[in-house]
Amino acid sequence: MPDYSYQEPVLTLRNISMQFGGEVVLRDISLDVLNVVRPGMSQGQVVGFYGRSGIGKSVLCRIIAGLLPPSTGTVLVANPQRPVEAGDVGFVQQRYPLFNHRTLFDNLLVAATRKHAPAEAKAKAEDFLNRFDLAQHRRKYPAQLSGGQRQRAAIAQQLLCSEHLIILDEPFSGLDIAMIDEVKKIILEVTALDELNTVVIVSHDLATTTALSDTLWLLGPERDAAGQCIVGATITKNHQYNLAEMGLAWQPGIQAKPEFVQLLEHLKDEIRKS
Amino acid sequence: MKELFAPNAKPQPKVFLTMVGAQVLLLLLLWLFYPLQLFPSLGEVLAALQDLLTTQGLLQELWASLTCALGALALATLLALLLAYLTALPFFRPLAYAASKMRYLTLTGLTFFMALLLSSGHQVKLAVLVFAATVYLVTGMTSVMLSTSQEEMDHARTLGMGEWRSFLEVVVRGKLADMLEVVRQNFAIIWTLITLVETLYQSEGGIGLLLYKQNRYLHLDGVLAIQLVILATGATQDYVFSLLRRVFFPYAQLSVAK
Repeated sequence: MPDYSYQEPVLTLRNISMQFGGEVVLRDISLDVLNVVRPGMSQGQVVGFYGRSGIGKSVLCRIIAGLLPPSTGTVLVANPQRPVEAGDVGFVQQRYPLFNHRTLFDNLLVAATRKHAPAEAKAKAEDFLNRFDLAQHRRKYPAQLSGGQRQRAAIAQQLLCSEHLIILDEPFSGLDIAMIDEVKKIILEVTALDELNTVVIVSHDLATTTALSDTLWLLGPERDAAGQCIVGATITKNHQYNLAEMGLAWQPGIQAKPEFVQLLEHLKDEIRKS
Repeated sequence: MKELFAPNAKPQPKVFLTMVGAQVLLLLLLWLFYPLQLFPSLGEVLAALQDLLTTQGLLQELWASLTCALGALALATLLALLLAYLTALPFFRPLAYAASKMRYLTLTGLTFFMALLLSSGHQVKLAVLVFAATVYLVTGMTSVMLSTSQEEMDHARTLGMGEWRSFLEVVVRGKLADMLEVVRQNFAIIWTLITLVETLYQSEGGIGLLLYKQNRYLHLDGVLAIQLVILATGATQDYVFSLLRRVFFPYAQLSVAK
């Protein structure tokens, strides 16, 4: 008997396809992210999202975030499930955008006022400044923050107004080992904030991302019976990895285990093949 | 000293100011001791300046031109901002495009039409300046707006801002500092035009008319003195605009390479 169970859906993708000027970029993507419940624990989950550069990861992220309507299919979020709208899903883009004309505190406040009354929004913004260790920088403008501070601020801003779901695009890119540890800590803290919090990490850093994840998606072209690539990338059932079922989730020091190393090799092969 | 000739070097402000002072001094000394035959000497220009100030009301004329230029700039800025911001709506995009292309219209044809449409010389002067400044400002402002990236707009949308709110936050508020810079850069066009327009409509005087008179009687020393006054006024304006930018938009300079 596994020490976890799946409950209500958090994110659902049904038959998502995307074409630009007749060119099929994404095809027939159906995914389910369910609330995973572990007895005696209140924690969200992490989804690792891989694929070769230029395969359509960013397009899928923008579709999931409600920023780009797909050519066909639907994205459902929240409980009860409803079609996604921009603002439902937090999306921290690669360069951690913030409003450069607002101070750090103002950046958080403008996000918090979306869901809260002014006084409460102020308190929430203050709370997040403290939680993300940014309180001493509250009056600084984004251009005065370091890369790590910017990233924390961007995540905090998105969390203040999104509905439990947050996409991080390349959160480990260009960071030193100490900063990677810092970002990993932030991601785990985000998932610990709420049972329903779900972080989707788009990354090329397989080892770091897989070690944090409960589920993996691998976006790539599917091959037909003759071995030819079908036009448009997709995430087949074979490329949806439930790490909990595989016994590779929620274990400290997982990266040293042979099964984990084997999985990484398998993922690398699959990515190369695509 | 060596760093003054090194690419991308950052000399200390004291060193840099000393260098600028030395360059200006050298220029003045050259002018003082090696005058060109056609070019008036420094002494003649200073004497002409004194004469212009004491007997020909240079300061009053400068003030008249300056207030007219500032009025025209204020009106043109409002018009250009309106035209530029309206490009958010596809319906108005051709209007801004057409306004931008009107930079190529000539002043002569323009003043003729303005004179037919308007009753007083002042109105024609103001209308020509507003028109000319607006078409240049619209070009610069729409260019600033077009520099808005998908990432910036997506960022606002992911925070649940609607399309108008995203536009207000990213394009209007986020680009105000750049808009002020466009206004600063294009203010010079008004000074170029005002001297021309004041010679066409002489009833209100102005520094352009004064310059025209000096030119007409071949008072090159007076011409140069007035040009230097206009140059100094322009430099002061530039400084004031930069100061305003630093005071109201302190974030604007933070990411600039120093």
